[in-house]
Amino acid sequence: MFRKIFFILVLAVASYTVAGCAGESTSEEKITVGYVTNGISDFWVIAEKGAQDGADSMGVNVTVQMPPEGTSDQKRMIQDLLARGIDGIAVSPIDPANQGDILNEIARNTRYITHDSDAPDTDREVYIGMDNYTAGRMCGKLVKEALPDGGEVMIFVGRLGQLNADQRRQGVIDELLDRSFDPERRDPNAGPIVGDKYTILDTRTDQFDFARAKSQAEDAIAKYPEMDAMVGLFGYNPPKCLEAVKEAGKEGQIKIIAFDEEDDTLQGIKDGLMQGTIVQNPYRYGFESVRVLSSLARGDESVIPANKFIDIPARSITAENVDEFWTELKALRGE
Amino acid sequence: MKKSVGILGIFGLLVTIVLITAILEPSFTTPYNIQNTIRWTSLFGIISIGAAFVIITGGIDLSVGSVVGLVGVLLPMLLVKLGWSIPLALLAVLVVSLAIGLLHGLLITKMRLQPFVVTLCGLLFYRGFARWLTGDQTQGFGNSFDGLRQIAIGRIPITDSFGIPMPFVVLVVLAILAGIFLNYTIWGRYLLALGRNEEAARYSGINTERMIIVAYVIGALTAGIGGILFSLDVNSVQPAVHGNFYELYAIAAAVLGGCSLRGGEGTILGVIIGAAVMRVLYNAINILGIPTQLEFAIIGAVILLGVMADELVKRINEKRKRMEMQAASESV
Repeated sequence: MFRKIFFILVLAVASYTVAGCAGESTSEEKITVGYVTNGISDFWVIAEKGAQDGADSMGVNVTVQMPPEGTSDQKRMIQDLLARGIDGIAVSPIDPANQGDILNEIARNTRYITHDSDAPDTDREVYIGMDNYTAGRMCGKLVKEALPDGGEVMIFVGRLGQLNADQRRQGVIDELLDRSFDPERRDPNAGPIVGDKYTILDTRTDQFDFARAKSQAEDAIAKYPEMDAMVGLFGYNPPKCLEAVKEAGKEGQIKIIAFDEEDDTLQGIKDGLMQGTIVQNPYRYGFESVRVLSSLARGDESVIPANKFIDIPARSITAENVDEFWTELKALRGE
Repeated sequence: MKKSVGILGIFGLLVTIVLITAILEPSFTTPYNIQNTIRWTSLFGIISIGAAFVIITGGIDLSVGSVVGLVGVLLPMLLVKLGWSIPLALLAVLVVSLAIGLLHGLLITKMRLQPFVVTLCGLLFYRGFARWLTGDQTQGFGNSFDGLRQIAIGRIPITDSFGIPMPFVVLVVLAILAGIFLNYTIWGRYLLALGRNEEAARYSGINTERMIIVAYVIGALTAGIGGILFSLDVNSVQPAVHGNFYELYAIAAAVLGGCSLRGGEGTILGVIIGAAVMRVLYNAINILGIPTQLEFAIIGAVILLGVMADELVKRINEKRKRMEMQAASESV
């Protein structure tokens, strides 16, 4: 009985899929590209909108995939896309140093580009995004504006070891220590880094667990009650720092410098509780990725610049320009 | 007697961790830090109480984290997006968790499915449902509902710098209710009895199916209450990750607190102390500045050592008792 129902279900699904495919192929073999993120967040929801708009303007289909569980999930999603015979994939690699195999597997089978976070050692045709090291240095400048006389700074980030996190962190540190411009430099992941004016007390990671992000901010306040600033490198970190600072009654004493454009962050800047934030342009990441991939799929190689880098520069948002930026953002989100 | 020994072991572990951390790093004992640790302990303690009830029947509930996640996104959705009133929204999410528990209980007793399978499917289903419902978008209360959020972030001031966190009050109320239910009502005795030997309990006239359903309802209900408090506390809820692995924390707290996974054993106070051990460990790792990467390794090792020590103490006690009994019978 059960088996019969199951069989009928399978038949129904199969015939539906076959019919669907047949219907499409009669109109013209429509190009389909894949857009793979490094996780799930509001940031990627905006990028998804950009990718959809890009697909509409280019007359192609896009499949957006957001891996919830890290590298193994990302690998599975990429392989599924390849199995479908996709015409190109844009990836934000979670761990570029060790994902070489799967990333080059894309390059062997279809057109492969990176966005948001680069994997320069793989065969990607172009990287679309901002230079995270430069963005980190911009963030460091905001810390300097908040603490002109120097001070003690704590860094919070979801995960270290992925290039964008490492580069942002290094950018902040190098700027605060007035070091030369060198994106390849790496300080140890844990423990204090002491400069002349500024000290980076520690860097704590939370593996994207929001509750833990908050409790780590609280623990930092407990351990270093005299700390001067908190830097949150991933979008959700700064609002959690602000929650902790508010509950400890240390508004104003502990400055908060942010990344990305969470509503709570923008509100924090408006309310004067956060110094500022460095924002990327996820909409453009999605849009440009789909534009480049579909051009490549049609055989147009001119979309790749010589330096293999399409720069979508970061912006620094402070009390001065927060209103203007927020209005623009709301329009993008369709609010 | 045996029960109190079980609690003593875990309580000793808690005191040891607290003392070592306090000696190494004085900022551990600041009112601010103690207050935070009590708040996190309470939040995890609440979901652990429910997990304990299920474990006492010899079952397991793997869906706790996903229920926390589902309730966590439903509450802000109902309040902020749909504009429901606070009592209605709270009632709705509690009814949802109650229904989830009832469903688990019915599937396990009436359809005779294994608890592991039923709740594992629950874990997957509720997570997927929450993500689909929200389109993976973070849900939050923004700057509104500050009054409601007080039940999670508020405190009853004792001194200027120290107050009792509100979730602790919720925990104490739930713990007292759970303790009375388990130890002083006939249903509590039924639960313990059926956990030890379900067949024997059934033949002695206990409606074991009904009691098992009750246990899963309590489990899901505390997960729902925990879910409400967690979402109010962190304010922004990411549907894909909110509450991930919390079932394992709850189960670990229950087992640390003396619940046997074979069923039939467990005390509410022990479970709460178990939850406290986990949270104090997390806190200690940050306060001592141990690299976050070592977090899981340390927590795993300490729990294992704790359970090993507990088992040793139990064995020594049993041996002594046996020898005493032997001596008594010989002297007769």
